[in-house]
Amino acid sequence: MTLTRLLRRGGSPESGGKGSAGGETPGGGPGAGEEPGLADTPAEDEPPEDGSPRNGSSGNAFPADAPSADAPGDARTRRPPDGRLRRAALAGTVAVLVLGGCGFFYGAHQLRSAAPARNHALTDTEATARVAGDVGNALARVFSYTPDGTAAAARSARTVLDGRAARQYETLFARVRDDLTEQRVTLSTRAVRTGVLELDGDRARLLVFLDQTSRRGEDAATTAAAQLTVTARLEDDRWRIVDIKAR
Amino acid sequence: MKRAVRVLAGTRSRPLPALALALALVAGGFAAWTGQDWYHAAHDDRAAYAEQRDAALAAGEQAVQNLNTLDHRDLDHGLDLWESSTTGELHEQLASGRREFAEQVKAAKTVTTARVLSGAVTELDDRAGRARVLVALRVTVRASDGARTDKDSRMLGELTRTQGRWKLSALGQAPVGGTPAG
Repeated sequence: MTLTRLLRRGGSPESGGKGSAGGETPGGGPGAGEEPGLADTPAEDEPPEDGSPRNGSSGNAFPADAPSADAPGDARTRRPPDGRLRRAALAGTVAVLVLGGCGFFYGAHQLRSAAPARNHALTDTEATARVAGDVGNALARVFSYTPDGTAAAARSARTVLDGRAARQYETLFARVRDDLTEQRVTLSTRAVRTGVLELDGDRARLLVFLDQTSRRGEDAATTAAAQLTVTARLEDDRWRIVDIKAR
Repeated sequence: MKRAVRVLAGTRSRPLPALALALALVAGGFAAWTGQDWYHAAHDDRAAYAEQRDAALAAGEQAVQNLNTLDHRDLDHGLDLWESSTTGELHEQLASGRREFAEQVKAAKTVTTARVLSGAVTELDDRAGRARVLVALRVTVRASDGARTDKDSRMLGELTRTQGRWKLSALGQAPVGGTPAG
């Protein structure tokens, strides 16, 4: 154990460069031959590397001075390429992981943004039922009126229609309103079938089959079929119709 | 000179592994997170369901169009198409009434074409392989004297998946003025 103490003293900054070299050479010789010495030498070699560069340099000088001291010397000369190799392997692994991660990220994005997946019609049953119900009711309210109750239809139109649909409705209604009252026309509309074509967040497109029963004065009622594609937008948690196209 | 380089390398080699290790951990975490995210996206039931919905709609629209298209000059081809677009009871009906129907069309010398205006799936049972569709259709009939009539019709179709393909198993007009059925 005097050997370790000797080495430690040799490695300490107080001792001169000459003294340390002198102390190490005899110590290194037997140390390399003995089993405990072998285990001790690399263990003692580590701290100087951590410490001041001066100590490290004195340690490095040792194998150069005595190339025959095999065990510690080999470890020293092998370490730099070994570390480089490890670093390269690490960099490679990191690169593979990052690239793989990017690949997965891109793949997941592709899958999610694919057209069928983005359309939530039927896949989100609750939202699908809701938009179908809202739009069906809105159409029924807007296209149902009694001769004296056209104002009510116009009022509900303001709450459920928006954008182009509201403008279409207003022009149409302004044109026929007087005639409706004069001819005592009653119209009742019912959405018989509603299918959601597209549902993506706050926008939806629907196909609606309507039955429109109209009655003029005391005449018999006639029922006509109408097919509409409707574009709706979710605003303030309520679906409003923004466009209507007759099919 | 040589020593100075070694010294620099020696001092730097310590913080680098720690940094590299941290980097590797972050990269590993990123890869793990995106990997499971991708896995969930790839095995999302809703995506598979959405694909079936779109496949059913495309097949349904095509089949409805096929069944509303017939040219008296090319009856065999047209009626073959009818049979290949259908399955189940509807298919049997068409197959059994084929000869009689062909005679009628041949005598009437009509050419019927159809255009799908819009279609939507209203129900889809992915496991059972059944779906219901709404199709708005414009049917044009050209009589032997060249007169053309357009008629808008709205149809309700029922599809059944057979051997991975959606085919019509029932088709009818949506009733007007009847009782609402959904």
